[in-house]
Amino acid sequence: MKRKSVPLIIIALFAAGVLMPTLLKQYYLNMLTEILIFSLYAVSYNLLLGYAGLLSFGHAMFFGLAAFSTAVAIIHIPGLALWNAILIGVATTVLAGFIIGSLLLRHKGSYFALLTLAFNSLFYAVATKWHSVTGGDDGLSIKRPALEMGFGSVSLASLTNFYYLTLIIVGAAIVFCWYFTHTAMGKTVLLMRENEERMKFLGYNTNISRLILFTFTGAVAGLAGSFYTLHFQFVSISAISVDMTTAVLLMAFVGGTKTFWGPILGAFVYILLQGYLSDLTDRWPLFMGLIFVFMVLFIPGGLSEVIMNVRQRLFGKKENNGKSAAAEEVPL
Amino acid sequence: MNDVPVFFLHGLAYAGLLFLVSAGLTLVFGMMNVLNFAHAAMYMLGAYFSYSIMMRSTGRFWLSLMVCPVILFIIGALIERFLLRRVHKFGHVQELLLTFGLAYIITELVKWFWGNYPLAVNIGGTLGSTIPIFGITYPVYRIFIFLCAVFVGTVMALILYKTRLGIILRAAVNDSEMVNTLGVNVPLVFMGVFAFGAALSGFAGVIAGPLLSTFPGMAQEILIDAFVVIVVGGFGSLGGAVVASLLIGELQSFGVLLFPKLSIALVYLLMAVVLIIKPSGLFGEE
Repeated sequence: MKRKSVPLIIIALFAAGVLMPTLLKQYYLNMLTEILIFSLYAVSYNLLLGYAGLLSFGHAMFFGLAAFSTAVAIIHIPGLALWNAILIGVATTVLAGFIIGSLLLRHKGSYFALLTLAFNSLFYAVATKWHSVTGGDDGLSIKRPALEMGFGSVSLASLTNFYYLTLIIVGAAIVFCWYFTHTAMGKTVLLMRENEERMKFLGYNTNISRLILFTFTGAVAGLAGSFYTLHFQFVSISAISVDMTTAVLLMAFVGGTKTFWGPILGAFVYILLQGYLSDLTDRWPLFMGLIFVFMVLFIPGGLSEVIMNVRQRLFGKKENNGKSAAAEEVPL
Repeated sequence: MNDVPVFFLHGLAYAGLLFLVSAGLTLVFGMMNVLNFAHAAMYMLGAYFSYSIMMRSTGRFWLSLMVCPVILFIIGALIERFLLRRVHKFGHVQELLLTFGLAYIITELVKWFWGNYPLAVNIGGTLGSTIPIFGITYPVYRIFIFLCAVFVGTVMALILYKTRLGIILRAAVNDSEMVNTLGVNVPLVFMGVFAFGAALSGFAGVIAGPLLSTFPGMAQEILIDAFVVIVVGGFGSLGGAVVASLLIGELQSFGVLLFPKLSIALVYLLMAVVLIIKPSGLFGEE
């Protein structure tokens, strides 16, 4: 995809997003809001998995941490503005990402995967036991505060208003993530995955780059977590559980980790499939698992790779000279 | 105070179980460089198979202790041969994803077949009774777990360091290509190692049934503790697994006694301290 066409695509998608409330029923608008939030979560996850090649099994700790700290802030600070609630959520994840990242950044591969899972479990254990703050198994219910702007306030009680807020903020965050992959920092991350030795030789401190990336993706996941709380007006320990990490892993992987837009597609497919399968059977996680293992075995590039291949066949886009598709396709 | 010996013995029993789980995990990791996220799920399968075997009579404990590892051995061999070997060429991330996906599927299947609630396994006979020790009466079964772990650990050490097979295994860790060139069927060895790891997890599962209850979350619970054992002990180190299991077993046990509110965090705290001071683990190589 040419870089010039990207602003056009963004504008077209945004325009389509603006029209959605007039076209969709309440049920589907609700679903679309959820998809937007999970898209951001999946995109942040893919910055780790697809771009940096770091397999984390603990992304839900950031998502859940922000979800809880937003809820706790709204409950305990009366009259808290919406922006500040989100800010508190994101700020805690930045702090957590920095501390955990500095403990983990020396490890890669299996070690990293294992340690992230362990830390996720720590967060989960704390959330379960610290009943007075997190509500334990009961979770926390909140009311969305009104959106305060300079000239007045907008009530977010209606789904349509909240949908627009989500579209703007989450959409902007996704665009920012895309922009991030084109900055010098984003390129450094890519090159580090391809050849870390050489990057070190060229004078890059790869540990610091990895720490920055880890903290950044944590903060983005945190933003998604804050919106998750605001969307459902409820947060339970499932938001911080390993299942939430599994969900994002499935989204990113099913959509395809080799493109920027793959995880967004994955979030769409996951939420729609989940809605469809959970109507049919109580065993839908089993089918999700089977689909996942099938894709690991046979379609490791995910749906986006399938789409790319089909497009290549149909329109004869240039071959990527036999190199790994990842190196070629990641920068969109 | 009678508490100290009781909690000490509790710690030993849990350490024994932890060792049985983490020994298989660390063995597979050391040999094949595959971190098997499905290991704890296979341990859970062992516990559930054992429940089904023992459902009618408690006297069948010994039967299930022999049968379940064999079933898990076969499952492990099949997983290695038909799934893991396929993704091996794609690298670590794919292998991790595969084992993670398998763990997910196994957990869901267990919920499907046995239900999403705890099942109690009662142990009868001599193992279910108590004996006096250190001036207290203590359940025989917990001592039995510890002895099992000692037995398995000894057998593993003997195989690894005293037999020809052990030499091949240790050589395959260092340079599998060279060992392959020397005429050893390395893929077969790897399949055997993976299947043995699975069998060991099944054995641990059978043992765990009567100690902890059998429920779909049991895999997740032990997996984290086993991971912490591996991190603290050092990746792929059998000796490290012994020391770290004892350390964490006792820490868990006395943590409940001394700091009841902090007890869940203590294990993670230990892991964080080890990560800061010696990231490769107590017995790990740099």
